[in-house]
Amino acid sequence: MLPLFQIGSTGQGSIGETAVFQRKVGEIVFAYTVRRLLMLIPVLIGMSIITFSIVHAIPGDPARAILGDKATPEAVEKIRTHLGLDQPLYIQYFEYVKGLLQGDLGESLITQRPIAEEIGPYLAGTMELALLAMGIAIFFGMNLGILSAWRHNSAVDYTAMVIALIGVSMPVFWLGLMEQWVFAQELGWLPSNGRIDPRLGFEPITHFYLLDSLIKGDFYAFNDAFNHMILPAVALGTIPMAIIARMTRSSMLEVMRSDYVRTARAKGVSEFLVIYKHTLKNAFIPILTVFGLQMGLLLGGAVLTETIFSWPGVGQYLVDAINNRDYPVIQSGILIIATLFVLINLIVDLLYAAVDPRIQYGKE
Amino acid sequence: MAETLLELSRFKMHFHTDKGVVKAVDGVDITVDEGEIVGLVGESGCGKSVTSLSVMGLVPQPPGKVEGGSIKLSGRDLTRLKRKEWQRVRGNEVAMIFQEPMTSLNPVFTLGNQMVEAIRQHKEINKKEARQLARETLQEVGISRDGILDEYPHQLSGGMRQRVMIAMAMVCRPKLLIADEPTTALDVTIQAQILDLMRRLNRETNTAILMITHDLGVVAEMCDRIIVMYAGQVVEETDARRLFRNPQHPYTIGLLKSIPQLDRRLERLYSIPGNVPNPRQMPSGCRFVPRCEHALDICREKEPPLFSLEDGHTSRCWLNAEEKEEADRDTTGNTAPSS
Ligand SMILES: Nc1ncnc2c1ncn2[C@@H]1O[C@H](COP(=O)(O)OP(=O)(O)OP(=O)(O)O)[C@@H](O)[C@H]1O
Ligand code: SF4
Ligand SMILES: [Mg+2]
Repeated sequence: MLPLFQIGSTGQGSIGETAVFQRKVGEIVFAYTVRRLLMLIPVLIGMSIITFSIVHAIPGDPARAILGDKATPEAVEKIRTHLGLDQPLYIQYFEYVKGLLQGDLGESLITQRPIAEEIGPYLAGTMELALLAMGIAIFFGMNLGILSAWRHNSAVDYTAMVIALIGVSMPVFWLGLMEQWVFAQELGWLPSNGRIDPRLGFEPITHFYLLDSLIKGDFYAFNDAFNHMILPAVALGTIPMAIIARMTRSSMLEVMRSDYVRTARAKGVSEFLVIYKHTLKNAFIPILTVFGLQMGLLLGGAVLTETIFSWPGVGQYLVDAINNRDYPVIQSGILIIATLFVLINLIVDLLYAAVDPRIQYGKE
Repeated sequence: MAETLLELSRFKMHFHTDKGVVKAVDGVDITVDEGEIVGLVGESGCGKSVTSLSVMGLVPQPPGKVEGGSIKLSGRDLTRLKRKEWQRVRGNEVAMIFQEPMTSLNPVFTLGNQMVEAIRQHKEINKKEARQLARETLQEVGISRDGILDEYPHQLSGGMRQRVMIAMAMVCRPKLLIADEPTTALDVTIQAQILDLMRRLNRETNTAILMITHDLGVVAEMCDRIIVMYAGQVVEETDARRLFRNPQHPYTIGLLKSIPQLDRRLERLYSIPGNVPNPRQMPSGCRFVPRCEHALDICREKEPPLFSLEDGHTSRCWLNAEEKEEADRDTTGNTAPSS
């Protein structure tokens, strides 16, 4: 890949040459992105096999497991045909993948509706909650970490790290219940259940309620939806916040000792820029890894949080499906969460490349 | 005579650590005149870097603490500056380059970004003009390849990076450049080029240089005046020629003897016996006494002051006192340790 950079730097005019250089870099980044996307294919195939096996690995007859012991043989046979269980396994798998490729996630056994249609609003619900939780975790976690690194070994540092320690050791369900008790029940400041007050009769468009209420210009609905999000998002974001704070602190401390930070100070750069420009951009590289991991864990934590706060998200949808033995929904729900996980990691990898110029796009 | 630019007097920088107080710099007097090149030499750990970082206000405080004395730059006491005032001094009036060119530039910003930052910190000019100035300054240090401003540090060799560091330090035309072992990490041919470059910049811009090194060869080549430090103190100071011809302090003599010389075939390279004293527990009396071949009784009891000899030559050794007294008494005996 290096020759490409050198082509960029052998042009004549300094302005034209910069443009050439930047175009080349753009092409390299594009090629890298495409390659990373192609590498997703085997991962996705593997995931589809696993989710496919979930239904088929159930001991005994899935149809009977679904219907229960008292089902008539006719009913069982009907389900078997419906699910295609009378076909050989590999045909079943190919049918399944073919469906997936066409965006067909199967049908819910309970509602008889296509899962692809049904899951959309739940997915939006989970993503909206997870994004806010992650936003909270990143904003507070990083600033807490930066503050304690900057005031290393001071009272501020110790306080911040005690907060972080409490944060990591607090179980999500316990924090959620405490929040409900204090802020909803006792103080009555915030609602404790659902995404929005049903009395508002809010008609969602994208099912991202904050976005929808903004599109409609309905600020009352925005405010209400936001209030509904605060408690579950804080419950969900606390552990990642604490972990990000600790990681940020140690990463910042390490970079602060580096020669180039001293160089920046020697140039007369202000303390603010030394911290937020020179130190943070370098410290950010290891922190990014934590973002990816935490975002994944957060999806898991969402199931619990959604249950506590009656939040209509994928977690709720999955829990209901498990209770109802709605296997196609379980299968697709897991597949979607796993896909999200993979996509998050892809984004993190691309961000690495954006932050760190030393990453060689050609090599893996 | 040139004006005095930098003047450290009785300057002390101590570190308060869990294991005790490290008197890294303990009453140091150093002056640098405008346009002069001064060498600061001494063994590892004698306080050269702490001295130079103190001039930049870059010693972390705590654990560091100024325990006395002053650092005057053009008459203004730097030890009293507030943080904002420091920002106007650093990179503008005094600039510094470091030993490790490989790690001294920020890896995630382009060279252009880092140069422009240094310029715009101190000059009210727009980005385009700053880039132009950056390009010109890089040309002055011998880097003229196109597109250099859009490159990242990892695309450059160590020698190139040190040139960039020098350009970045010189871009605001500081009155003083501090170079802390600028060539130690480079190979010999590159070393010579960098030293040449610094000498040329000194002539062309009249920027004074405080050159820190433990390489006496570098000092001999570059410096007008040389200051020898030992255990946080200045032990000898004189011009370069005198130091090599007529060193006075036993420590300096030891240092000079330990340079390998082509015309003398020694079986074994000389090295000063013993070790640098533990900075938390300095010996009483002369700090060099445990390693000195000429130690007298008084050396163990009383710390020698800096004795002034002729032509601004100073030495912190009781032998010089005796010599002086003997000279005063007009005797012919010579107890100088070099004999
Ligand atoms: N931040 C610090 N905390 C405690 N002690 C320190 C600190 N910085 C330096 N010292 C001590 O100050 C003394 C002088 O160190 P300094 O770095 O100035 O030595 P030096 O002469 O530059 O040596 P070298 O040739 O190895 O660079 C050493 O004993 C060192 O341990
Ligand atoms: S004062 Fe004494 S111990 Fe110290 S260097 Fe001179 S002779 Fe040696
Ligand atoms: Mg040093």
